[in-house]
Order: sequence, then C-alpha cells, then structure tokens
Amino acid sequence: MTVAAGIGYALVALGPSLTLFVSVISKKPFLILTLLSSTLVWLISLIILSGIWRAFLPLNSKTWWPLAILIFTSVAFQEGLRLLFWKVYKRLEDILDAFADRVSKPRLYLTDKMQIALAGGLGHGVAHAVFFCLSLLTPAFGPATYFVDRCSQIPFFLVSAIIALAFVTVHTFSMVIAFNGYSEGNKVDQVFVPSVHLAAGMMTLINFASGGCIIGIPLLFLMAILTLMHCGRMVWRRLTENQRQGNS
Amino acid sequence: MAQNQRPTTFLDSFGEEIIRILTPVSICMFLVVLLVSILNSNSSASVTSIATIAYSETSSDSSWDKFLGALLNSLAFVAVVTVATFILVLLFYLRCTKFLKIYMGFSSFVVLGFMGGEIALFFIEEFSVPIDCISYLVVLFNFAVVGVLAVFMSKMAILVTQGYLVLIGMFVAYWFTLLPEWTTWVLLVVMALYDLAAVLLPVGPLRLLVELAMSRDEDIPALVYEARPVTHHDSGSGENTVRRRVWRERRNVRHDSEDNSNLDGNVVSDSNSTVVAVQHCHNGSIIARVEEGQVSEGNAELSAPLIDHRMNGQDGMSTESLVLEGMGLGSSGAIKLGLGDFIFYSVLVGRAAMYDFMTVYACYLAIVAGLGITLMLLAFYQKALPALPVSIALGVLFYFLTRFLLEVFIVQCSLNLVMF
Repeated sequence: MTVAAGIGYALVALGPSLTLFVSVISKKPFLILTLLSSTLVWLISLIILSGIWRAFLPLNSKTWWPLAILIFTSVAFQEGLRLLFWKVYKRLEDILDAFADRVSKPRLYLTDKMQIALAGGLGHGVAHAVFFCLSLLTPAFGPATYFVDRCSQIPFFLVSAIIALAFVTVHTFSMVIAFNGYSEGNKVDQVFVPSVHLAAGMMTLINFASGGCIIGIPLLFLMAILTLMHCGRMVWRRLTENQRQGNS
Repeated sequence: MAQNQRPTTFLDSFGEEIIRILTPVSICMFLVVLLVSILNSNSSASVTSIATIAYSETSSDSSWDKFLGALLNSLAFVAVVTVATFILVLLFYLRCTKFLKIYMGFSSFVVLGFMGGEIALFFIEEFSVPIDCISYLVVLFNFAVVGVLAVFMSKMAILVTQGYLVLIGMFVAYWFTLLPEWTTWVLLVVMALYDLAAVLLPVGPLRLLVELAMSRDEDIPALVYEARPVTHHDSGSGENTVRRRVWRERRNVRHDSEDNSNLDGNVVSDSNSTVVAVQHCHNGSIIARVEEGQVSEGNAELSAPLIDHRMNGQDGMSTESLVLEGMGLGSSGAIKLGLGDFIFYSVLVGRAAMYDFMTVYACYLAIVAGLGITLMLLAFYQKALPALPVSIALGVLFYFLTRFLLEVFIVQCSLNLVMF
C-alpha cells in the first residue's frame, strides 16, 4: 500500500539494526567489513540449505511435520556454521593482535572483541531480515496489500516484518553470547544459543495453525527479550570483572 | 568512576581505505537499482548499439538461439573494445597525449550531456514534470560542462569530482541495462574474461599500455575514481613511508545509440580498459607528484594498510609494477578504482533488479566479496591482477543460485510464516 507503507514495513524490521549500525558500527570501518562478511556467510548458508531442500519443495501445506524437519535441519546447520565462524574469528584475532604488536599499538580490548561479535551478529540478523522479509516487500510499495489465510487479521507484510524484528534481536545478541561462551568456555552460554535459536524456530511453527500467530508471535518476542536480558547480564558481568582486574 | 584514559586501538581506523572505496561503489549500485526500478515500465525501449549488431533478441526465439545470438553480440563488442584499446596504445606510444585528454573530455561531455539528458527525459515523461525546452537545455548544458571541468581540471572540491564520476558510471551502467537480457549476461561474462586476458597475457593491450607508461614515467589521462587519502602518521622509521605512484588508464565505454536520426546508426565505442600501475620507489627518491585533492582526513593513525608490510620487503630502486584492473593504491595510501568497474558492477546489479530485489541483495554481497578477495589476492601475489573477473563471476553465480534455488525456499517458508 504505497511507498510510505513499504518503507514503514522495512523500518519495522530493520529500524533497530539501522540505529545500531549508525551509532556503533559505522564508526569503525573494520566493523562494517565484519558486518558485510557475516551477512555473506549467512546468505551462503541459506543458499546451501535451499539447495539441499530444493528437491522436496514445494511442501504439502497441510501437514506441519515436514516444516518441523526443515526448521530443525536448518537451525542445526546454522549453529554448526556459527562454530566455524568462531574458529575463523579466533584465527583472525591472532592475526590482528600480531599486527597490533607490529605497529606498536595496544592489543584488542574486551570491548573491541564484543563489538566485533556484535557486528557479526548484526550481519546474521540483517541477512535474515533482508532475505525473509525485505525481499518480499516489493508488492507492498504498490497500491494493494496481501493477507495470508493463517493469520488473517493483519497484512502479511506486517506479520513478516514483526517476526523479522524478533529474529534480528535474537540473532544479533546470540552471537555476542556465543562468542563469549566459546572464549570463556562457559557451557551455559554455549548451550543457550542453539537452544534459543531452535526454540524460536519451532515457535514459528505455531503460526502454521490457523489463527496461531496470535500466540506464536508474542512467544517469539519472549525469546527475543530473554536473549537480550541474558546478553545484558553477561556483558555487565564481564565488564565489571574486567574493570576490577584492571584496577587491582 | 574510572574514566578511559587508555589509548585507542588500531581498530578505530583499520580497513578505512577499503570502506572509502566501497562506499561510492555501493552508492553507484544503489542509484542504478533505483533508476531501474523507477524507470522500468517501458521495457520495450530496446537500444540498438554496437552490442546488438549481430543479433537482436526477441522473446519468441528458443533458448539456444538466444544464447548463440548473445554470444555473437558479446564477441563483436569485445572485438571492438580490443581494437580500440590497441589504437589507444598506439596513440599513447606516439605521444598524442593532448589528443587523448581532449578526447576524454569530449566523451565525458557526451555521457553527461546526451545519456544524462536522455535519462532526464525518461524521468520527465514518467512523472510529467513541467519544464520547457530552453531551461532544460540550459541546465543540462551547464551540468555537463561542470562535469567535464570537475573530471579533468582537477582544482575542484574532491566531493564534486567524486560525485560526477559516480554519475558518469551510473549513466553508462543504466544504458547497458537496457540491452536485452541474454546479451547482458553473456556480455558481462565475456568482458570479465577479456579483462583477465588483457591484463595477464603478455600480449594484452592493457599490460602493454602500463609498461609503456611506466617506462616513460608518464601519466595517462583517464577517468579514475580516487578515494580520499588516509593520513599517514609516520610512526617508526622512514622505511614506512612508501611512496607509491599510481595511475590508471581508463577509457570510457559508451554507445552513441540515441538520436539515431542524427547519427545514422553510427556507433562509436571506445575501449574500456582500466589499468593501474603502482610504482613504488624507496624513500630515497620520492616522486614529487602531488595528487590533487589530498586532504588529510580524520584521525587515521595507521601508517599503512595491511598490504603495505609486504611492499616494504622490496629493496633498492626496484620498481614493482602492480597492474591491477580496476584497483590500485595511490600515493599516501588512497585507493583508486577505475570507472569501468563501477559500470560493470552496476550493470550486474541493475540487471538483477529487473528480476527481483532478492537477487539484488545477493549480487551486491557477492560483488563486495569479490572486491575484498581481489584486494587480498593483490596483497598476496603482488602482481598484475584484474579486479573484474572475481566479482563478476561471484555475482553471476549468486544471481542464478538465488533465482533458481533460494527464492523458492524462502517464499515457501515465508508464506507459511515459518522462519528460522
């Protein structure tokens, strides 16, 4: 429904990411590069998944369990890729530290590492929002709108934008949690991220039932808030620990 | 509360040059996508140009015919480009530099004036803008003349020069997207291959050109986009100040296909060759060549990008020539990028926009990745490398993968409101 509505939907999905980008990421060029490479990596993961599943599509839209299998395999694949991403980042961190030594500058601080993790997570979130929501928004710029049967109270574009917003939050901050968990060896964090991702994915299955989106979407946002809180707590703890270490 | 007095890490400015060249490339691509999506209603406006002399595509032909026709078109185009580049080498060899400069200025004027004017006419038609002929002509003429001055008389503000270069790239790219579909894709692939050959083969025209220019220690007049240089803070010995001189030679490719009534189907096309030569000498003999518009920018404290530490290994007066298609390093670290790369990247993304926006995003990411990979290869191999092939290959690959695989998958998931 007109350009204004189209832009509105896009901003619902990507508004907070845009704010994060402008305030944190655009200040340091390296973070922009991290964001772009992270988005690319997750795009490649989506392409590989679609390649694997191409033979089975289009799925029968009456039963829900093929979709459950699809979500399960996709989440498993993406979490495996996250582990790989962490390993590559570890090596990059060593190169960066060596470079810092060579130009006689201080090594990366904890906040720098967290910012890199944030940029990586934002890349993941942006990839999700762009491909699942933004690329389908083209008709929304025209004069009409579209409703799906399963969730007939609000337009399809708005529903997908809201879901994309929740997922952007989940992805952005789980990357911070995950990197921290891997670097500290904290088992809780390491398990937290895949389980939240899987739970969020499964919750969208509730949307599959007719009228289910009324329950599904608030639950999804509950997951997003949970991720945010856990991340905030963890970051606070680490920063105060670090400061105490630095002062002592 | 304890405040942060600790020194800033190098992460503040690491990778700044890459971003400075990525931004205008992204802006050019974005503008072309915008143009394509706004003006795409008249899909019947086909362009007769040198790229369609062999075959003009109609939707009723079979796939194989279309492919063959597109291939013939592209080969014809590349043949013309090769011949023109060789003529350019010849002219440069005979030291007709003034003629080349005037020709460059003339071609910029034609691009800005005629192509830009045609696009403005599309806009006026589409949105029924009330404007009369005289004002339109006056505005257009001024616009084109300022553009020529900005690009060739280098005393203007660097932002104006950069803006006009991006505009020139945008106009030419938009014209290329008006070609028929199969021809565009095959043309992109063939141009990437031509680039590879022209820069890496010993008989390639671009390689000859750069070697000639370097042996004479001259500059070639060309359309080059230069990012603002990053200030050097010479921490450490003078060894770190590596003076590099870069030039590139680029000729604009365009078709004079509009106004067939005047030109009689006469097409003029120049070779589009970008060549960057990086010559770096040791601290002892600094080439005192001040590039225009060197403004110290920001608080970049790093002395060099990651590439630099490899170049420091060179000793003595050995001049290391890095001929890189579309990419190079200016003195004091600014990256220069040839306009042909802008054009072909934007053509790819513009053509992807004609299908759907999902392909646009995928192709954009692929092209940026290709750019990054080319830079890394440059740092690694330290020799002449063309920048077009990697990005175009990745872009085409991602386009077809997205179109045939990803879209079905995503639409299936999204319409069921099932996401992960």
